[in-house]
Amino acid sequence: MGLWLEVAAGGLITGGIYAVVAMGLNLQYGLMRIMNISHGEFLMVGAYFTWWAHTVWRVDPLVFLPVVAIVLFVAGLVIYRLCFRRIARAAASAEVVEARSLLIGFGLMFTVQNLAYLVFGADMRGYSYLADPVEIAGARFGQNRLLVFGFAVAASLALLAALRYTLFGKAVRAMMQSPTGAQLVGIDTGFLHPAVFGAGIALAGVAGALLSMIYEITPGMGEPYTVTALIVITLGGLGSAGGCLLGGFLLGLVEAFGMYWTSASLKMLLSYSVFIGVLLIRPKGLFAR
Amino acid sequence: MSQHKLIFGVLVGALVLAPMPWLLEDFYLSLALSCLMYAGLTVSWAMFCGSTQYLSIATSAFFGIGAYVTAWGSGTLPYPLAVLLGGAIAAAFAALVGSAVLHLRGAYFAVITFGLGELVRHAVTYFEKAYARTVGRIISDAPENWAVFLMVLFLAAAAIVTAALVRRSRFGLALAAIGSDEGRAQTLGANTRHVKTAGFALSAFFAGALGAAMAVRWTYIDPPTVFNPFIGFQTVLIAMIGGAHTLLGPLASSVVFSLLTEFLRLRFPYAYLVMLGVLLILLVLYLPGGLAQLWEKWRAMWNARWRARWDLRWNRLRARRGARLPRFSARSGRD
Repeated sequence: MGLWLEVAAGGLITGGIYAVVAMGLNLQYGLMRIMNISHGEFLMVGAYFTWWAHTVWRVDPLVFLPVVAIVLFVAGLVIYRLCFRRIARAAASAEVVEARSLLIGFGLMFTVQNLAYLVFGADMRGYSYLADPVEIAGARFGQNRLLVFGFAVAASLALLAALRYTLFGKAVRAMMQSPTGAQLVGIDTGFLHPAVFGAGIALAGVAGALLSMIYEITPGMGEPYTVTALIVITLGGLGSAGGCLLGGFLLGLVEAFGMYWTSASLKMLLSYSVFIGVLLIRPKGLFAR
Repeated sequence: MSQHKLIFGVLVGALVLAPMPWLLEDFYLSLALSCLMYAGLTVSWAMFCGSTQYLSIATSAFFGIGAYVTAWGSGTLPYPLAVLLGGAIAAAFAALVGSAVLHLRGAYFAVITFGLGELVRHAVTYFEKAYARTVGRIISDAPENWAVFLMVLFLAAAAIVTAALVRRSRFGLALAAIGSDEGRAQTLGANTRHVKTAGFALSAFFAGALGAAMAVRWTYIDPPTVFNPFIGFQTVLIAMIGGAHTLLGPLASSVVFSLLTEFLRLRFPYAYLVMLGVLLILLVLYLPGGLAQLWEKWRAMWNARWRARWDLRWNRLRARRGARLPRFSARSGRD
């Protein structure tokens, strides 16, 4: 029983990390139909930024989180202006936006990832932060993992509340339903669209900063996380913040138990089978009504 | 350009290229091989994805499957049979996957195919570790260079001819109809599900066969080499740059890009990929139809501005000289 509990708790913690990773993409793809396949690359940038601040200036990674968020938000605005504004405005339908933004995302992925290789080299980097384990109910967990888990739950709930209860959240949801209609009732979509995109990039950077506390980082680390994020938001239903958290937990649990029963090298196979299964059976997400 | 002319041109080109293994040095031969490989990959990719607008990034999965068929059959299967089998198994795999996921449109399909290469790679790695107790495989009796070259040349030529034949056939028209409006294509009586699956499998056949044919160039094969996602990306990129909706656009850009890759990628690996990424972004923003679009635009402008005037002069000249000059008018152009 204790072992099962440990596997389940480990799965939930990984799932929380997945939820954090998926949150930014959920804003961009779920709410705006911008398929930013370079999501993981901005996660990597956030991770490197934090690592660099920690090793060069000895800044506490947790204190540095807001800086990462602000810098990447601004970077997101710039990227939106350069790459996505044109297609978001000119495209005839959401499908065209999706297809073109996907290709642009691939271009960004190549560019950002290889720039990172040029600047940092291919070596693995890392630092140790809050790595001591704590014991809860007979099972041992790293403090940093618990921290990320707590952040995931808090941030998802905050995002959920912001989207549901604030005027700003209402405006974002209105823009998702009908860009023209939102404009007609006085929502400044010309400001809101880039801002939500930038928030997605900022969330990716924050997720990367949190991950750099746990795992070692390389310039190529982003790609698998992009795929994980896609699986999670598909599981949870596009655009739903609560679904994103639940989807993350579910994927974490499936992977943890699957690896426990079979073998650790089958992790990717497991996540893909979940992904394909959900797309075939419930393409609108598991929790869609 | 008419179909017959094109097929004739491909045959002549293949005949001209056939004696290359005995004329070229090894370095240039491998350069020519990689040009031919990407020509085959991109033309077969564009045959399905260019016309249906389904973005598949699974080329590396099919390529790797083909390569592994050669590796597993090494020593027992004769080379041409391994190539044929590699293509057939890749096509069967594509048909299986395609029938499951081809009803998804847009980004989902792209993402699934994006992951397909990784999925097959992990499956093969696991299988090899668990049952064969090995990480990679050594290909023992590789065929001579000339045999590999002729095989790849044959496959590339076959891909181009097939693509040309498909374009004008009922099947190709159904593919193009799916690309413009799938619902309407269905209403007009095309069995879109079968057509899509068959098209996907056909393009996977060439990718698998090329993988099987090229595998013998590496003496040691392991999953990261043959399931390299770069092969899939490069294929998509080349086709997009050339103009995926045309036949000659991808062909021309595959030659240019494989030369560029060979020269630049080894010397500046990261900067080269950064350049490719920026190029892709610029292309999607300003030239979504690829270089072929530029060419079409230029020709339309040429026709509108000059051709009418030239025809007028020509016809006046003709009127003056009687019927000795051939008839020529704006309508009798090749399009």
